[in-house]
Amino acid sequence: MRAETLKGHLNGILLAVLEPEPRHGYAIMEALRDRSAGQVDLPTGTIYPAMHRLERTGLVRASWSTVGGRRRRVYDLTAAGRRALDTERSTWRDFSATVTALLQPVPLAISPQ
Amino acid sequence: MNRPGTPASGAQLAVERYLAEVTARLPGSPRSHRDIVAELRSGILDATDAHCSAGLPPAEAVQAAIDEFGDPIKVADGFTAEIAAGLARRAAVVVLVTGPLVGVLWIVTAVASHIAPHFQWSDLSPGLQVGVPLVAVAAGVTACGALFGIAATGRLTRWLPAMPRRAPAAAAVAGFGAVGADALGLALLGVQLATAAGTLSPWPAAAAAAASVARLMFARRAALRCLAIRTGLT
Repeated sequence: MRAETLKGHLNGILLAVLEPEPRHGYAIMEALRDRSAGQVDLPTGTIYPAMHRLERTGLVRASWSTVGGRRRRVYDLTAAGRRALDTERSTWRDFSATVTALLQPVPLAISPQ
Repeated sequence: MNRPGTPASGAQLAVERYLAEVTARLPGSPRSHRDIVAELRSGILDATDAHCSAGLPPAEAVQAAIDEFGDPIKVADGFTAEIAAGLARRAAVVVLVTGPLVGVLWIVTAVASHIAPHFQWSDLSPGLQVGVPLVAVAAGVTACGALFGIAATGRLTRWLPAMPRRAPAAAAVAGFGAVGADALGLALLGVQLATAAGTLSPWPAAAAAAASVARLMFARRAALRCLAIRTGLT
């Protein structure tokens, strides 16, 4: 799945990946791949600016930590981020239900001869 | 011997080359890119570890990690938008906060110098009667630009469409508005010095002039930087 397909939903997806626990950039990418069974495979480098944008808008907070001698920037959801994730979920459910209903095949009406 | 995930020197060069390609396109000084570089480098090393664990030899694992990170131009473009937003926000906040402070210094100067002893418009000299409204207009433009710049780069952007080019433009408007307001203030001081120097209270006037010069220089530099960074945004 390409970045263009996810446009408009990437923020919610990134927030959902951080919901269970804080993660660093590459762990976020790995979680995206795992949770989508490999369907979401964005260029990993593009995740980092997206996380900085979420941090700027107050949806995640970032802190540096050193694990195994390697410095990593770890991201965690803020309270506003959790609320935004709830909103994304409910918006997606409504949108998905509407589009699913609209895409249902409708039996063709047989016009009387 | 390298520890796991630490690429050999040739591969290390490839990582540094990739990072240099990203940072070469970023606005600002190399010093301001340190955290971005450190974060990307640790990510590439994590990716290298993952590819090594999947069975690739170290050199191939590094190349696979670099390929996985994608086009350095796109990565740099993503960070440029963030750097632009940060720059625009800082410029807008500084200009907005310093405006009233500098304004108070000019008001103190006017009061201490008895420029309008009875607080009546007709007490002002003709030059001040023209100049003061112009300062007010410039201050209004500055405040509007700064408020828009702050709104377009902060938490409000959760609900607004992405406006990467508008925030630096608004901050530039705020910056040039501040330049105009401070330049007018200094020009009015010059007129006053030329026509009625004896009435001016020297210390408040010196403090107001110094504050205006400092703000003018900051605002001009910030506005030009915002315009320059805006041209690199899509």
